[in-house]
Amino acid sequence: MESSPQMVHERGGQEETPQPQAGPSGASAALAQEIAELWGEHLGSPGVGPEDDFFALGGNSLAGIKIIERVLLDHGVRLSVRDFYLAGTPAKVAELIEQGRAGT
Amino acid sequence: MRLTPGPARDVDLDTLDLFDLDLYSTGDPHPIWDVMRERAPLHHQVLPDGREFWSVTRYEDVRRVLGDHREFTSERGTVPTHLGTDDAAAGVLMTSTDPPRHTEVRRPLNAKLTARAVRSWEDKIRATVRRFLQPALDGETFDLAEQALLLPALVTGPLLGIPEKDWAELVQLTAMVTAPCDPHFLVGSEAATLAISHHELLNYVRDWATTRRADGGEDDSLLHHLMSVRPGGAPLSDEEIALDGYSILLGANVTTPHTVSGTVQALVERPEQYAKAQADPTLIPGLVEEGLRWTSAACNFMRYAVDDVQIGGGTIPARGAVVAWIGSANRDASVFPDPHTFDITRDGAKRHGAFGFGPHFCIGAPLARMTLRIFFEELLDGCASIELAGEPEHLRSYFIAGMTHLPVAAQKRHTP
Repeated sequence: MESSPQMVHERGGQEETPQPQAGPSGASAALAQEIAELWGEHLGSPGVGPEDDFFALGGNSLAGIKIIERVLLDHGVRLSVRDFYLAGTPAKVAELIEQGRAGT
Repeated sequence: MRLTPGPARDVDLDTLDLFDLDLYSTGDPHPIWDVMRERAPLHHQVLPDGREFWSVTRYEDVRRVLGDHREFTSERGTVPTHLGTDDAAAGVLMTSTDPPRHTEVRRPLNAKLTARAVRSWEDKIRATVRRFLQPALDGETFDLAEQALLLPALVTGPLLGIPEKDWAELVQLTAMVTAPCDPHFLVGSEAATLAISHHELLNYVRDWATTRRADGGEDDSLLHHLMSVRPGGAPLSDEEIALDGYSILLGANVTTPHTVSGTVQALVERPEQYAKAQADPTLIPGLVEEGLRWTSAACNFMRYAVDDVQIGGGTIPARGAVVAWIGSANRDASVFPDPHTFDITRDGAKRHGAFGFGPHFCIGAPLARMTLRIFFEELLDGCASIELAGEPEHLRSYFIAGMTHLPVAAQKRHTP
């Protein structure tokens, strides 16, 4: 999948090619916060932060299945099961979503 | 873990760590369990992270813990890798459900898996086993433990309704569930390995069911049967189908290979027992039972005490976790005299607990017994003798007692 101009626009109107490996921009910090809230909802623990660990929060596969489904619905990105659990934190999952949107 | 124990040794029961993975990959748990049965039939251990569990090691106590759901519930989880975390699938996944619901769901499945029902598979299984053994008969060094991981999928794939292209991946995933710390299967961390494998297996069964529903396909397979049963008058939910399908895949894949490898290893070490079975094939069903006892591939299962309960000369407090060590129960001298002797003519070998006890007794036991019988019939018929051709390696798991490598070389038998 090629990255569309619209994607570039969503990433803050930058003209240059998106660089998914770069550190969190303002946009991805917001996304990381959104993912943290989604985790809180499914793990029954409010106040999850972007750097919290999925398994330390009591995360398991039944919660993971629901979270990955929600990410597909809300963001149109189907996360790889392995990548999701190896990512471990909302911030890293947000990066995966941005990579998915950029088609990398 | 070593199946033929080394010499007896001093054991400090206060500092003993039964979850030490080295004990199973390179160590020798049997002399420890011998001491526990003798001196501490109810043992208590606190892990460094504060989780605690009790252990029973005697045959009668193991049978009671696994068999009596009123005293020892399955609904908070049954696998010690999940100690301390209540099972998210309790009351839905069959293995984590107590009667009466468990009985309702199990009964219609069981009808497909009785000894009489599986007999119709005998010829197909024999053809599969012959194909499986062919490379060994051609005289190549054959890593039996590695190859045997695929054997249950070869046998049960058609019965379950799973296409051949998916077997290798499913075998890898089920191995990850049962031995998440073994270097052959570890992905990232133990927790990640478990979550990835659970997730992928559940997705697999769910997608399988969705596809079947969409194309209206019907067949005689066990997974299709799961979709059509109506326990208590209502069909299973999609979540129940996914979880029970997962459970069936797991049960089929993860234990039988290790009984095959461990029993062959016992025979390689005891050529006189091999010759005895070869000379008299009517001894093969006894060989299979002794092999099941000897290997005890499902090394333990866990339950939680419902109330304070007296057992093994002590008390497990209400809500305490108890691990029933099947591998130890199957070497209890009060039931199996001279328990560390592998004897294919042993009286009463069939009393072993390798398939568990009570309501959760392995639903696939008749199929496993028949597959193992056919395997040894074909092995003994095809191979004049078998020798070790390299170092055996054991699975790094305190839950499944198994092997990852067993290189053997067979001499082809020239039948008159």
